[in-house]
Amino acid sequence: MDEFNDNEITKLLRLKRYEQPPPGYFENFLHEFHRRQRDELLREPLWRICVGRARDFAFSFNLSTLTSYPAAVTAVLVCAAVISLRIYQTPQPATVAAKDRPVLVVPASTEPEWTLASPVATRVFNTRPLGNMTKSARTHRSGTPRYVLDSVPVSYETTFKF
Amino acid sequence: MPESATSLSREVKDVFERCAKAVVKIEATDQHGELSGTGFFVDPTGTLYTAYSVGGEADNVTVEFKGRKYPARQLLADLRSGIAMLKVDLASPALPIGSSDQLEIATPVVAIGYPLDLAETPSFGMIAGFDRKCFGGYFPTKHLRVNLPPQRGEGGAPLLNLKGEVVGILLYTFENNSCYALPIEAAEKIRSDFVRFGEPKHGWIGANVAEASAPVEGSRAVTKDIMKDTPAAESGMKQGDIVLQIGRTKVHEPEDILDASFFLTAGDVVPITVMRGNEKLTFNVEAAGSRAPLLAAPSLNNRAMPLNLQSSPERTP
Repeated sequence: MDEFNDNEITKLLRLKRYEQPPPGYFENFLHEFHRRQRDELLREPLWRICVGRARDFAFSFNLSTLTSYPAAVTAVLVCAAVISLRIYQTPQPATVAAKDRPVLVVPASTEPEWTLASPVATRVFNTRPLGNMTKSARTHRSGTPRYVLDSVPVSYETTFKF
Repeated sequence: MPESATSLSREVKDVFERCAKAVVKIEATDQHGELSGTGFFVDPTGTLYTAYSVGGEADNVTVEFKGRKYPARQLLADLRSGIAMLKVDLASPALPIGSSDQLEIATPVVAIGYPLDLAETPSFGMIAGFDRKCFGGYFPTKHLRVNLPPQRGEGGAPLLNLKGEVVGILLYTFENNSCYALPIEAAEKIRSDFVRFGEPKHGWIGANVAEASAPVEGSRAVTKDIMKDTPAAESGMKQGDIVLQIGRTKVHEPEDILDASFFLTAGDVVPITVMRGNEKLTFNVEAAGSRAPLLAAPSLNNRAMPLNLQSSPERTP
């Protein structure tokens, strides 16, 4: 800046005053800008262009808004499942209090349940985690229970292995 | 009525009056629906025994005691012995534990149970046999065959001698007017495991026994296979050894293995005496845990059960 004094700057501005851009320069300015931008882009590898496009597309949306939709849908589904399970597992009102039944009333149609070879005796020997059973110790019972006395052991020894 | 019958009736009545207060009706729900069975207290803090079929796989368990129903929780369920232990949070009466070893054929016994939806009911009978095999299979240990008329709902009922001591747990019906009971010692073994480890700990050493062609030192139990990477193999036991004794159980035939095997506890060292040729050898073997992990993953042996086995057997004079 030191090599230019005010007079020289004045002269230079005076000369520039007569310079004009070619016709249509301002009209085509935006078009030319985009063309040069595309040329610049096309010099990049294809994969980088794809990545860039994808990133631009993703950021064109509000991500925080988008993530809330799946969360809301999941919450609704979980609530629906819990409500339906509770409805399904709600015990039927007890019509007979076992404690107060003075006389055994057994309809003839229930006889198969009373066979000694009950399902308990022939079930698959699955083991399940031991649980705390106090949480739902409801005392009301409905219907005739299965009176337990097995007809075969719940397990056998297969051979004389020890 | 003859005087002896009157006396016997009085004894049965006495047992019933003394013991019925510790016998409870158990109601629960399992995958097949509601069920009802019997149980009995064995300590004053509300611990009770019942059958596996009653309390082994059931939920919503309640115990009816003195006209009230109390929620019960499961302490353990053992498929091998066929029993379950439940706990009710109350101060309870308890039945004294007797000894089934003192029973003989025709020893009179009493069972107290809740048949159907009736009140507590005594049944009188006698010991008819001590069986290891029935229904086409082997029991895990000797069972008491009792000639008394069991009824549905009495699964888990106590079998009592005329002193009012528990000598067995009624588990299975057998033909008419007969049933099988687990000896109380077997149940107490499971309870002991629970007290020590919090769960049943059935022991296993990895030997397979067959019947020998001729008895040796009174035993026909010969080791047919010694499984690889098992406590038996590590201890030095070999195929062809005649098993004479396991712990305190003397072995005369292969079926005796069942009793001895049932009372093995994983982690405990048990002396096993065998005859090998003319030599009597005793191996101290530390029983392993369940069989499946041993067979499925031998590499876990050292982590799952340290084999502190005596490598050289003791010479027994």
